[in-house]
Amino acid sequence: MIPSPAFSRRFLLAGAVALAALGTAPSISAQEAQRGGTLVVASVQKPRHLNAAVQSGIATAVPAAQIFATLLRYGEDFEPQPYLAESWSFSEDSKVLTLKLRSGATFHDGQPITAEDVIWSLGVVKENHPFSSMLAPAETFEAPDQQTVVIRMTQPHPAILLVLSSALTPIMPKHVFDDGQDIKSNPKNNMPVGSGPFKVTAFEPGQHIILERHDGFFLKDRPYLDRIVIRQYQDPNSAVLALESGEAQLFPMLDSTRLIRRLEKSSSLTISDQGYAGIGPVNWLAFNTKHPALSDVRVRRAIAYAIDRNFITKALHSGLSKPAIEPVVRDSPFFTEEVERYDFDLDKAKALLTEAGFGEGGQTLKLRIDYLPDTDEQQRSVAEYVKAALAKAGVEVSVRASPDFPTWAQRVSSYDFDMTMDLVFNWGDPVIGVNRTYLCSNIRQGIIWSNTQQYCNEEVDQLLNAAGDEPDLTKRKQLYAQAFGQITADIPIHFLNEIPYHTVWSQAVQNPPISIWGAMGPMDEVWLKQ
Amino acid sequence: MTAPARTTVPAARGPMAEAWDIFRRSPAAMLGLLLLGLVILMTVAGPFLYQVDPFEIVWAPLTPPGEEATIPLGTDNLGRDILAGLIEGGRATLAVGFSAALITMLIGVVIGAYAGFYGGFVDDMLMRVTEFFQVLPPLLFAMVVVTLFQPTLINVALAIGIVSWPQTARLTRSEFRRIRTLEYVSAMRAVGAGDGNIIWRVILPNALPPLIVSATLTIGMAILFEAGLSFLGLSDPNVMSWGLMIGTGREYLLDAWWVVTLPGTMIFLTVLGISLVGDGLNDAFNPWMRER
Repeated sequence: MIPSPAFSRRFLLAGAVALAALGTAPSISAQEAQRGGTLVVASVQKPRHLNAAVQSGIATAVPAAQIFATLLRYGEDFEPQPYLAESWSFSEDSKVLTLKLRSGATFHDGQPITAEDVIWSLGVVKENHPFSSMLAPAETFEAPDQQTVVIRMTQPHPAILLVLSSALTPIMPKHVFDDGQDIKSNPKNNMPVGSGPFKVTAFEPGQHIILERHDGFFLKDRPYLDRIVIRQYQDPNSAVLALESGEAQLFPMLDSTRLIRRLEKSSSLTISDQGYAGIGPVNWLAFNTKHPALSDVRVRRAIAYAIDRNFITKALHSGLSKPAIEPVVRDSPFFTEEVERYDFDLDKAKALLTEAGFGEGGQTLKLRIDYLPDTDEQQRSVAEYVKAALAKAGVEVSVRASPDFPTWAQRVSSYDFDMTMDLVFNWGDPVIGVNRTYLCSNIRQGIIWSNTQQYCNEEVDQLLNAAGDEPDLTKRKQLYAQAFGQITADIPIHFLNEIPYHTVWSQAVQNPPISIWGAMGPMDEVWLKQ
Repeated sequence: MTAPARTTVPAARGPMAEAWDIFRRSPAAMLGLLLLGLVILMTVAGPFLYQVDPFEIVWAPLTPPGEEATIPLGTDNLGRDILAGLIEGGRATLAVGFSAALITMLIGVVIGAYAGFYGGFVDDMLMRVTEFFQVLPPLLFAMVVVTLFQPTLINVALAIGIVSWPQTARLTRSEFRRIRTLEYVSAMRAVGAGDGNIIWRVILPNALPPLIVSATLTIGMAILFEAGLSFLGLSDPNVMSWGLMIGTGREYLLDAWWVVTLPGTMIFLTVLGISLVGDGLNDAFNPWMRER
């Protein structure tokens, strides 16, 4: 894997310890690693429960990846690695995936993990997970014997390998969860019996989650840690203070550029932007394409030209965020340069507005901008900047604040908005996290993070669907490049910047979670130097 | 009101002139008046002298004061001119302060007047309502009001008014209870004046001095309240106010002191001015002060 320039630069600063971790991860030799110790992970996320089979989001994913094993896992690139499945193969037509399970694997209650548990878990995820596109092409899950799982699909579905990893499809014990209750509201989701490297022994919402080593874990000598405590903090400030005082040793998902800049100077803590390729977090400006003025593509393009991404990334985010130019992030295998970028050009913006009948000679365009509350630096500040930037193009923008997330979600999902700032994750593969924003079929009123822009272009739909079914990676990339080219030309969304998520850890932490899923992947390889 | 037998001030002068005499002899009160006058002058005349849009990005973000001649007080996190924000923001802040005080007085005086004048059942009912509002933590209650509606300037003023009227009501009530037993009120009743007439035209003017003092202090409190709500992110993002400047700038406090300190100083000076004026008025209206 080629480290990104930003990554290597920061690593030079971080020193030799981090370099060693980069060179040997993820399969570090066992002699080197020391057993034992408690890792305290600082978190500002509040999980509703701990079962990622029926709940998306980082808050649940981080503990769930420790509690539940998945069939596959990923390192620092988008290459699948064996986990609970020892090996896997596709049929000739790519429509049948056969996985061989590891023998001797057990759940936390000592019962063996069988193919029966796996196909039941996959069925639950297909039926209940909010990302309904993940397993949509999977028709049947079969278990010809105790160690074999066969997934038959209606069409080739290359994204399935990613779907089977990390916290997306946890393998649950059927004998525990299949108790006739609705899995979404099953109280066992709070203290689930799992299959992963750690078992949950305490879950105090708002305080901590305690995860103890599962001695019967199926990977030899793993996990290295005795215990992981995920401790809740009020805000990133207090989480960082906890790391500085030694109270916690690891803090993922830090996006405050002020704190990042401060920690970069720290001698006792290491900070890295690695570990977010899978999440793929994008900050963007979405348009309501049914708005009388915004339905005109020239108006949308004019707004895009009037916004200077460099101001956002360099001035607002002190150079820590990267400009986003298309639906996927730079670290995605499907990233392409062949899109309309809309680099800052105020004259072009004014000309387009005049053409559309606004600005000089025409009427004044008045728009409202919404933003996601509680993430000021990424959302509120950028919304305020958009107001100021568009004023220079003669567009009057008023900022509308939402007191809390549900209010904002209600407004956007019921199309009660002109433009809104939003922060959306790629989730590794476009089929999971990207298609939902653009497909005509996903214009679903009342559902946040669906196609709330109400954008519909049959050609884009065809390209995205064709790319989703294409087993050949090169051809897949071409199809996505075409789709992204068309989307950026139609501009239902103006992409602004990638969220500068960083992970901080103290010197004792070895093999920090910097795979594509970061802390949402299993931390069985993390160890503490004593 | 006028107690000519005891006063040393020439008896020919009216009560307001007397009050002004006392007020102006207090250096603290005059300082307060000066501060307040300067702030009002700045917000009224400022926009004509310094024509910069406070929302416009004029320079690099977080430019310190004095570094660039055209931006004497530096820029905020978005590169907006702080001086323009102070001028424009003062108007919104003062407007919230005055209108919140007005709302407080309207609700408080009406409820306090009826409760104090009628007593008995009416008093009991109105005071229970007042107590109900009084036991709610004011900032939390104001947050709920602003959250339920939109955080616009009017709603913020309304929220502050709704949470701060109980004190005014209690003060008004006690004044009314005292004054309604005085002889001149009985005299009015004897000549056949109606309740409304007695309440608004006889008792209220005589209860006014402490209410004016209270109203003045309420303005100061409302400004602080607005700043508090803004600090919590509950302010109108489309109207520049000192509170909004502090709310957006607090994240940068460690890197750029001027973003928060300058509007904070303005709030401090304004509220100090209002408090000193309030104290001065209190002394001026206090009959015992006239003996000095």
